Amino acid sequence: MEKIITMMGPMLDGVNVTLQMFFITLVLSLPLGLLLSLARISKYKPISLLVETYIWLMRGTPLMLQLLFVYYALPLVPYIGIKLPDFSAAILAFVLNYAAYFAEIFRGGIQSIERGQYEASKVLGMTYVQTMRRIILPQVLKRVVPPISNETITLVKDTSLIYVLAMNDLLRTARTIVQREFDMTPFVIAAVFYLAMTLVLTWIFNKLEERYAAYDE
Amino acid sequence: MNMLRLKNIHKRFNHLEVLKGISLEVAQGEVVAIIGPSGSGKSTLLRCLNRLEIIDQGTIEIEGEILATEDTEGKCQYVSEQKAREICFKMGMVFQQFNLFPHMTVIDNIIEAPMLVKGIKKELIIPEAEELLKKVGLFEKKNSYPSRLSGGQKQRVAIARALAMKPDIMLFDEPTSALDPELTGEVLKAMRQLALEHMTMIVVTHEMAFAREVAQRVIFMDNGDIVEEGTPEQIFNSPEQPRTQAFLKSML
Ligand SMILES: Nc1ncnc2c1ncn2[C@@H]1O[C@H](COP(=O)(O)OP(=O)(O)O)[C@@H](O)[C@H]1O
Ligand SMILES: [Mg+2]
Repeated sequence: MEKIITMMGPMLDGVNVTLQMFFITLVLSLPLGLLLSLARISKYKPISLLVETYIWLMRGTPLMLQLLFVYYALPLVPYIGIKLPDFSAAILAFVLNYAAYFAEIFRGGIQSIERGQYEASKVLGMTYVQTMRRIILPQVLKRVVPPISNETITLVKDTSLIYVLAMNDLLRTARTIVQREFDMTPFVIAAVFYLAMTLVLTWIFNKLEERYAAYDE
Repeated sequence: MNMLRLKNIHKRFNHLEVLKGISLEVAQGEVVAIIGPSGSGKSTLLRCLNRLEIIDQGTIEIEGEILATEDTEGKCQYVSEQKAREICFKMGMVFQQFNLFPHMTVIDNIIEAPMLVKGIKKELIIPEAEELLKKVGLFEKKNSYPSRLSGGQKQRVAIARALAMKPDIMLFDEPTSALDPELTGEVLKAMRQLALEHMTMIVVTHEMAFAREVAQRVIFMDNGDIVEEGTPEQIFNSPEQPRTQAFLKSML
């Protein structure tokens, strides 16, 4: 028992890193994903093509590779090359990656809204921006809650990839202790933390779905 | 006064010419019924009026204001987006598929556009919206979501929603075609009421009894053209064109 308590200090620091990665990535990548999805469906071909390519790159290569690229290769790029601190590099890679996934989810949601909704809005005199903000996006949000929920739970677990940058997140901390003390308890504690986080998230998303259930389609 | 003037409207979808030079004038307070076989271009014609479709050629004038016209080279030019929107929201439209906003209650469906587009304050528009709901007999449903309504009730909400923008012209595209037969009556009644209040109306319909009774003028369209038009008596009792005769026979 005493052993577990001494382990808890570093483990909680690890949880802290993991939670920060998770929340900052989520808060930045959701709005960025929404913007990207709007650009992706834009009438201006160069813009939509650019975003399409971007999404293809981000979804077509491993997140791990992107992480390593931002960390090791970005500083070597002439002129713009910058060496980011570990944490910022990780956030940048995660946000760029997750925004691409969220963009595709939002795009699917937007395109699933019937044409009649746009037509009714237009006939009532609404502008495109008003139509998106008041009519289309609120309906999209309802439809994307389940896929966003899935992606968010994946993000909790993906945060463990940052161990390659030698950052002491939950999983890396657990492994360090395990290797030092030849005791598997930290792995169990780590599993419990991940499970608790996904449990909380599942609960939150269920609440969201319930709220949106006020209307059927 | 002419509420609406169309001159030589042409509309193509790729290589399919759907409107082949339609000209039409509608006077204030007039109720015009458009009938014709499916695929003849009736919906497209209505949709061209409020720029749900963009015409290829011709002139559209709404209440004396030009929406689209041809330049000196014969190319069709629309006025600016802002101006077009102002011209078009004088026309309300009711769709076959209702197109209510499913995430809003009945009352919110009605007040949304007046608040958003015209900037009318909520406390001012609510009484008007309630009045409209009473008029279409749905006051008690004001806090329901559309999914809880029958088709006939949805369509009456759609009519109230269009009226909340205080349009001068109402366009109806087969407003009862998606309804079970026993529900068409309530919608037609609301439309009849509007006609009695001298609303200018253009109604695409398969309800021949309604056209005969409510419209002052009936237009028969076929294959992108106006084949024949006249009073309901002329069209229904003594149609001149063989195509009109054949169509009316098929509707019996
Ligand atoms: N968006 C579109 N793209 C291509 N063809 C269309 C489109 N809308 C209508 N059409 C075609 O135009 C013709 C007229 O259609 P429509 O105006 O809907 O006729 P109606 O309302 O009289 O049944 C039909 O042949 C239809 O297939
Ligand atoms: Mg039609």
